Amino acid sequence: MKPAEEINEETIMAESRYAYVTYIRSTPQAVWDALVSAEAMRTYFFGLPFEADLRPGGAWRRLFPDGSLMTEGELLEVDPASRLVMSWRNAEPEKHAEGFSRCAFDLAPAGGTATRLTVTQSIGIANSRLIAAVEAAWPQVVANLKSYLETGTVALTVPAP
Amino acid sequence: MAESRFVYVTYIRTSPAKLWEALTNTEFMKAYFFGFTFDTQWRQGSSWRMLSPEGVLFDGGEIVAFDPPSRLELSWRHEEDAQAKAEGFGRCVFEVAPAGEASKLTVTHTMPVAESRTISMISEGWPQILSNLKSLVETGRIAV
Repeated sequence: MKPAEEINEETIMAESRYAYVTYIRSTPQAVWDALVSAEAMRTYFFGLPFEADLRPGGAWRRLFPDGSLMTEGELLEVDPASRLVMSWRNAEPEKHAEGFSRCAFDLAPAGGTATRLTVTQSIGIANSRLIAAVEAAWPQVVANLKSYLETGTVALTVPAP
Repeated sequence: MAESRFVYVTYIRTSPAKLWEALTNTEFMKAYFFGFTFDTQWRQGSSWRMLSPEGVLFDGGEIVAFDPPSRLELSWRHEEDAQAKAEGFGRCVFEVAPAGEASKLTVTHTMPVAESRTISMISEGWPQILSNLKSLVETGRIAV
C-alpha cells in the first residue's frame, strides 16, 4: 500500500488542463461581445448554433448543424469585458462520461491597442479526451475570432483536420 | 527524461510560402518581433543571433533545419538572463502546413531541463509575437 500522503498527492494531481493566450487588436468590450454573440459565432465558430442565458446560473449549449447537442453547461461567472466562466460537458458518449469541465475566458487590456484573451479549460481527471479535443479546437476557434475582430472575416471556414 | 515544452498553434489566412517568407525575412520580423533583429544567413548550419533594438544579445544558436516552406528548426540558447543562459541549448521548431485557405503554424520550443526558466520566459513572449505575426500578415498592422 502507498502512504496516505502519496495517494492524496495523486488525487490532487489528477487534472487535465489546456490554456491558450492570444492578443487581439480590439477592445475588451468588443472581444466580450463576440465571445457571447451567437451571431458572431456563425462566422468564427464554424456556424455552430449557440444558445445561452447570459447570467450566472444560466444554461448554455452548442449544437451541431443538424441540431443535435455538441456541448452544454452552466454559466458560472459573467463579468462583462473581463471574465466568463462556464461548466462544459461534451455530449459525445466517451467525453460525456468524463463529466463537466470548466472553461474560463479572461480578458485584459494590453499595450493600449489590444486585448489579451486567455482561454483555460480543465477537468479533474488525467488524460482527458475532452481536453485533448479542445486542445485541437481552441487554436482554430481563437484564430478565427482574432481574424473576425481584426478583419471581419476568418482564417478557417471549416474545422481543420 | 527531464524536459520543458511550450507548444503554440495558430492559423493564419495566407499561403505557406508567404508565411515562410514572414518567418524568415529579417526586416519583416522586426515589425512583429518588438523591433528585435534576427541576424543570420538563413541557411542550414548558419548561426543566428537575436538582438534587441538597443543591440543587446538576447538569444542565439544555429539553424538546424531550413526546409521552405514547411520546417524551420533552430537550436536556441537564451543569452541575456544568466539563469536561463545556464540552462544551455534547447530547440525551437516552426512547422507550416496548408489548412484550407489558411496556413497552420505550430511553434514547439523545448528545453532539456525540468521547470525551465527559458520556457517560462518564452511562454509569455511567443503568444504576443505570434499574435503580432498573424495580425501583420492578415491586416498589415501588429496587435500589441
